[in-house]
Amino acid sequence: MTQPVVVIDQLQKNFGSFKALKDITLTVNPGEVFGFIGPNGAGKSTTIRTLLGILQKSGGRATIFGQDVWTDAVAIHKRLAYVPGDVYLWPNLSGGEVIDLFLRLNDQAHTARTDALIQKFDLDPRKKARTYSKGNRQKVALIAAFSTDAELYIFDEPTSGLDPLMEEVFQQEVLALKAAGKSVLLSSHILSEVERMCDRIGIIRDGRIIETGTLDDMRQLSRTQVTVTTTLPLASIQSLPAVHHFDAPDAHKATFAVDSEALGSVMSALAPLGITALQSTPPTLEDLFLRYYNQEGGEADAQH
Amino acid sequence: MRNTNTKAGFLLRSALRRDWLKITLWLIGLAGLMAGAAAKFDTLYGTPKTMATIVETLKTPAMVSLLGPFTASKPYTVANVYAAEMMVFMGLFVAMMNIYFAVHATRAEEDSGVAELIRAHAVGRSASLSAAVLELIVINLGAGVLEALGLQASGMSGTDIAGNWLFGLGLAAFGLMFGAFTLLAAQIAESGRGATIISYSWLGLLFIARMGTDIQDPDLTWWTIYGWIEKLEIYDGNNWAPVGLMLALTALVGGVALWLGTTRDLGAGLLPQRNGRRTASAFLRGPLALVARLERTSTIIWLVSLFILGATYGSIFGTAGDLMASNPTMAKLIGTTGLRLANRAIVLSFANKLAIIFVILATIPGLITLFRLNRDERHGYFEQLHARSVSRARLYFSVAGFGLVCAIIAFALAVLGMTAAGAASMGADMPSLARFMRAFWGYAPALIATFGVAALLVGLLPKWQNLAWALPAYGFFSLYLGSLMDFPKWAQQLTPYGWVNNVPLRQVQWGPAAWMTALGLALLIAGYLAYARRDLLEN
Repeated sequence: MTQPVVVIDQLQKNFGSFKALKDITLTVNPGEVFGFIGPNGAGKSTTIRTLLGILQKSGGRATIFGQDVWTDAVAIHKRLAYVPGDVYLWPNLSGGEVIDLFLRLNDQAHTARTDALIQKFDLDPRKKARTYSKGNRQKVALIAAFSTDAELYIFDEPTSGLDPLMEEVFQQEVLALKAAGKSVLLSSHILSEVERMCDRIGIIRDGRIIETGTLDDMRQLSRTQVTVTTTLPLASIQSLPAVHHFDAPDAHKATFAVDSEALGSVMSALAPLGITALQSTPPTLEDLFLRYYNQEGGEADAQH
Repeated sequence: MRNTNTKAGFLLRSALRRDWLKITLWLIGLAGLMAGAAAKFDTLYGTPKTMATIVETLKTPAMVSLLGPFTASKPYTVANVYAAEMMVFMGLFVAMMNIYFAVHATRAEEDSGVAELIRAHAVGRSASLSAAVLELIVINLGAGVLEALGLQASGMSGTDIAGNWLFGLGLAAFGLMFGAFTLLAAQIAESGRGATIISYSWLGLLFIARMGTDIQDPDLTWWTIYGWIEKLEIYDGNNWAPVGLMLALTALVGGVALWLGTTRDLGAGLLPQRNGRRTASAFLRGPLALVARLERTSTIIWLVSLFILGATYGSIFGTAGDLMASNPTMAKLIGTTGLRLANRAIVLSFANKLAIIFVILATIPGLITLFRLNRDERHGYFEQLHARSVSRARLYFSVAGFGLVCAIIAFALAVLGMTAAGAASMGADMPSLARFMRAFWGYAPALIATFGVAALLVGLLPKWQNLAWALPAYGFFSLYLGSLMDFPKWAQQLTPYGWVNNVPLRQVQWGPAAWMTALGLALLIAGYLAYARRDLLEN
């Protein structure tokens, strides 16, 4: 078993009396793309900044490549590349200068790949950073990161300023990294992006990781939406413990949610009723996400 | 007719609400300084003997270059001396205040993106700029009235009501004029920083021109604009004409600024935005090269200007060190050899005063660079750097080291410029370069100590780092004017600059020089230790 690239164990971070991170525990394994999702202010960026040694942890443990993120920051940073969500660049440097500077700070050089990326992301590297839009500043950081030969890539909402075309380029590049066996920690708001690229997902809320696992695992813990039409009346189904939100426009047709792990037993109960049409939709990441976030608002029974 | 000034009044009120603390501090500072000094002058120059001495001093070319000419007619009053000592000096302060507020209210808002939000609302195209103009008028008028009342209350002998109000309102008009220059610069430049650089360059140019004409021919001073403030002849002729000139020029420059403001794009300057390099130069490799690249333009400006300033002052050594011309009776009395020695002593004492100005000016670029550690951090510029393999030690010592070395070089260049131009103007009587370098060896340690204090603040109390500006500001005030105002020794020794003896006239005291240097470097390292242990600032 290879050693995980990132290990965060019960990480805490306080700003004065405010507890920004209460309990962050997650691991990123070699060659995997880990999706880190959560709403604004949940602690995603604080976690990442702590991982980068910009902030000092208040408790717990965090290592990258088996080294402590605070004391061995420089050694770790030699092997990683990072793109923040809000990229700010010195206004009087050109994009090209910044890209080269970032590469050289990690002892890397401007290569043909750098030029290819500049082309691919459609950036004019001669413009001063002052004239760049948010998306263009993000491209500068992305180009520098993608042309860095690293083992771990950390992206903190990297596509928030990119247009859909550029977002597609970004996804291609991340998938290329994945194919090359690199590890990626991707914090994102764009759930379709996470759904498409990530092997495993961690959901953070209010300074805590509340769920980690593969998308399939999470689906297991969730409910499947079922719409069914039967020849016999459906009334008996409503009383099954695994069935929720039962909505029947008439006696023979109903729409309801089923706890995913009980899908089989519900199907067995439906079969004798004579199914004429059946449609089942697995939950999207968005459904999962909203479910986790609505837990506080009265839907406490949501899980099981 | 569409109104381009819609909501200017509303913007003015919110600007005043935003800036009230800064405005209050500036006004209290200015009026307090004027009134406080005025209240003290009677005890300083109350007797005919002290009066005669100070008037003689003020008439020497050295003092004329620093403070402007003493033009009052006999019999002299304490108020005449006060006006001569304070006018040019206060003008400098008022101009600096206006440059600060004018940039703060215009380009700084554009740079931060606030102006864009405001412009998107139902406000007129020129409303922001008009509000800035109105804010400057309110600030200057407030300062002028407070200063006049302060003078009134001081009860200094020789003052009159007309003179008090002319002093206050004259400074107000003078300040407003520099506010207008800055508003114009804000339209031309491409950023707040650019506008500040243009404004200070213009102020410096006018100040140096004024110095030159005051020494050569005070009538020519009319052409230097800055010199208008001397022509008010406060407590003597009480001449209101320069106020009219100032207001006319203010209206003209302000009008051009307003016009340009409506024609240009928000966030863009009139100076074209040139393209940069496609790739970085081979030189841009690490944090030190990065700081050098970022500070390139301003470092060159500082080094060149300090050399020019030094040379400008040095060029009057020939006149300053000519006792025969300024005091013939005395000159005849002491004979040729004595005269030569006396001339040298005058020049060397003058060089001491100049060295204080130079070292304090040289401190400024050093601190600006040093404060980049937190400023760029807050702007988010350094976040990418921290994620690369750049240790905090490397970043801290690159930035601090570059700032300190530049400040020391700037100071050395000023002393060298002074010596070079002095040699040209004095000829054979000129003391040697080594003699003048005493000023460098004496004051450079004070610069290092001040820098160390600032570095400690950067590491330990990043939010309060600007407090460090109090050291050069108060040092300048206490040593430049403090000696004229008979400040007690302890009040002059509140900053490291006050711990230096009268170099280059006297020998360098190597003991204090050594421990001040050691203190400065120790504080620099202490600042690092604090910096390395804390969270970095987040934007």
